[in-house]
Amino acid sequence: MIPSRLSALAALVALAVVPWVLARHQLSLLTDLLIAGLFAMSLDLIMGYTGMVSFGHAAYFGLGAYASALVLLHFAQPVPVALLAGALLAGAVAVPVGWFSTRATGIYFAMLTLAFAQFLYTVAYKWRDLTGGSDGIAGVPKTPLFWGGPSLASSRAFYFLVAACVVLSLFVCRAVVRSPFGRALQAIRENERRFTSLGRDPRPFKLVVFVIAAVFAGLAGALFAPFRGFASPEVMFWVFSGQGLMMVIMGGIGTLVGPVLGAMLFILIQEVLSSYTEHWMIFTGVVFVLIVIFLPGGLVGTARRLGARG
Amino acid sequence: MANLLEQLLNALALAGLLFLVSAGLSLVFGILRVVNFAHGVFYMLGAYLGFTTVALSGWFWPALVVVPPVVGVLGALLESSTLRFIYRRPPIYQLLLTFGLALILEESIRVLYGPTAKGVEPPPLLQGAIDLGGVLYPRYRLFLVVLGCTVGVAVWLFLSRTRAGLVIRAVAQNSEMADCLGADVARVRTLVFGAACALAGLGGVAAAPMTTAYLGMGINVIVDAFVVVVIGGLGSIGGSMAGSLIVGAAQTWGAFYLPETAMVIMYAVMGAILVFRPWGLFGEEE
Amino acid sequence: MTPLLETRGPTPLLETRGLGRAFGALQAVAGVSLAVQPMELRAVIGPNGAGKTTLFHLISGLLAPTAGHVLFRGDDVTALAAPARCRRGISRTFQITSIFPELSVLENVRIAVQLKIGDNFRLLGGRAVLEASEQRARDSLRLLGLDDRADELASTLPHGDQRLLEIAMAAAQEPALLLLDEPTQGLSPEDTAATVAVIRQVARERKLTIILVEHDMDVVFDLADRISVLHFGQLIAEGTAAEIRANAEVQKAYLGGLD
Repeated sequence: MIPSRLSALAALVALAVVPWVLARHQLSLLTDLLIAGLFAMSLDLIMGYTGMVSFGHAAYFGLGAYASALVLLHFAQPVPVALLAGALLAGAVAVPVGWFSTRATGIYFAMLTLAFAQFLYTVAYKWRDLTGGSDGIAGVPKTPLFWGGPSLASSRAFYFLVAACVVLSLFVCRAVVRSPFGRALQAIRENERRFTSLGRDPRPFKLVVFVIAAVFAGLAGALFAPFRGFASPEVMFWVFSGQGLMMVIMGGIGTLVGPVLGAMLFILIQEVLSSYTEHWMIFTGVVFVLIVIFLPGGLVGTARRLGARG
Repeated sequence: MANLLEQLLNALALAGLLFLVSAGLSLVFGILRVVNFAHGVFYMLGAYLGFTTVALSGWFWPALVVVPPVVGVLGALLESSTLRFIYRRPPIYQLLLTFGLALILEESIRVLYGPTAKGVEPPPLLQGAIDLGGVLYPRYRLFLVVLGCTVGVAVWLFLSRTRAGLVIRAVAQNSEMADCLGADVARVRTLVFGAACALAGLGGVAAAPMTTAYLGMGINVIVDAFVVVVIGGLGSIGGSMAGSLIVGAAQTWGAFYLPETAMVIMYAVMGAILVFRPWGLFGEEE
Repeated sequence: MTPLLETRGPTPLLETRGLGRAFGALQAVAGVSLAVQPMELRAVIGPNGAGKTTLFHLISGLLAPTAGHVLFRGDDVTALAAPARCRRGISRTFQITSIFPELSVLENVRIAVQLKIGDNFRLLGGRAVLEASEQRARDSLRLLGLDDRADELASTLPHGDQRLLEIAMAAAQEPALLLLDEPTQGLSPEDTAATVAVIRQVARERKLTIILVEHDMDVVFDLADRISVLHFGQLIAEGTAAEIRANAEVQKAYLGGLD
């Protein structure tokens, strides 16, 4: 479709130009938004395309953040090594968790993913020697892109790294959902029993996509740690998992781009709220309830519906 | 031997609290087909309201009587003002809605009570320890064992022996059928939701003297309750009971023998059950 | 070792030996022994609750039997789960329409082909798989007369076309054995007649062996080569349409089943 290609191109140009337009703190906020967007997009792979509602996706973001922080702090490797470490650790932990969780379906799956995520959260909280407990790991450096290569210390340079990761991930995820594998996922979402009777066990498919989603969430977390300079148990907390679901719903489930936009909007709302009150989480909760009741289709879905009416 | 008795009672006390929470969670799922993520927050609310009641009246017993209905009414109000409108949607929306409610309640409690934990004195009658044939055991924990057993039997009797219980089970089986029988399904849902919240509130009040009232106790208990219903099967009171006992035992013995990794035992038990019965011990295969 | 005396006929495509399934105290299917020859069109009939759908679940592997064996092409497949049996060549439809509602009609059939021919774990690209499966899916849709609705969402099709879509999905898998669970359920008389014609055509063109569960006796007598009658989970009669019509026990079962 021409219009969507055009808007994609426009978005790419905008991403390339903004660093010279925005002030430093704005650019830093945008980087934050993009990282959250990558997280929400990874959740959409399992939630929107496979119909598996994970209530513990923050755990993989957190694992990515911790792995990245430790690699950067203790081994002083270039940032991409830390990104790889974050993505791999998240994916590796997702294998056993996914193996157990995908034995259950529907609401049981949601409860199991939450239970495992809280388990990982508690580990991060209690394993003081490695994770620094509730204080987390601070002082995570922004090492260069490679030894002798360009520095990532400036907010503009790091923004470009994040933007490149997000755009690249978006393209990879899009290819995945359009591949034979991705088509199979959507069939599982629509009717698992029918899928089984057509000749395949859905569980290996669910496990693989669960791990892929964890890898991308881990990548997002691995970007987060050097960007913010710390990793703490909060990024693995259940609240963040629930917020991830909300970002996907707000943006439009099963669209990949929608959740990125949903995440950006969600974080923006939080930013605005938190500038007025310390207890912005109450209002986040209210926004949650209102959107679930009144805008179930999310932004993309609601815009489409309004467009169809107009 | 003495140690074993102590551990056994500890496991039963913990199981009693877990049952108060997971029975409501399971009942609500049976009737409303909703997994109430906010259920743990009602438990936490019970603990904090218990603290307030004790602080105002100076006594513990009134809290045990007054707080559960208050929590129940609040739950019923929230159900009829929000959840009621979205029963036809896919389950994810109900889960998200209750998630939003949990955020609101948890943060409100933080605003009202501040971040520090609130201790609650047990009543004088239940302070100190009692001699159980050579074992000195805290009286309050013994009370929790008794309370858990009493409520368990009461809930079971209510569901199996009373007309209201029959209607509730009819709605759980088939809400359209119950409509034909003349049961007002909307009212049954609200009442059940409220009753479940009241049970959780009771659990919170009862837990407060042992665990204090603290932020985060809601999520801790809901995760345990999720494990309980995954083990026992959603929608089954018997399953909640069995699951509570298993989780209570796993946590107690885990904490005793492997203090650093107590949780691992609980997850190992859950994992084993998932491998052999993914729908829980008492749940029905889909 | 070659048997010196081969008294049996050719290997049946599907055979069940003493097949049974109990749900607690309820014996839904008991001691059913069937033999269906290649290219045969067999109907399974019986009053409500006779165990017909349970029998289908046992043959397709969605349920494990509590007694007996299922043999496909002479091999014992009792231990195989549903997906594995499907890959060996047993495809089925469901009594209650079971499709992928929010996918296009074409995609419903295409995914059925893809799941059968494999290469499902191709995470990137896979254009060749997609094209090959789409080709076969379009053929199947044409056979069932649904080709002009290929791009519509399956959920928007009328009930009759959804029933046909299910058959298209199963037929596209090019199975050896096709199990049809009440294909005319809920259809108008005109749609029923059209569906009967389509089933006959599919059977002929694809050289399929079909087992059909059906309530509509006209459909059964019209289509079936042989008929098996189930009653309270047991096989009480088997024969041609004429034989079954004349069978006193069958008449009793049906009259008994009405009250």
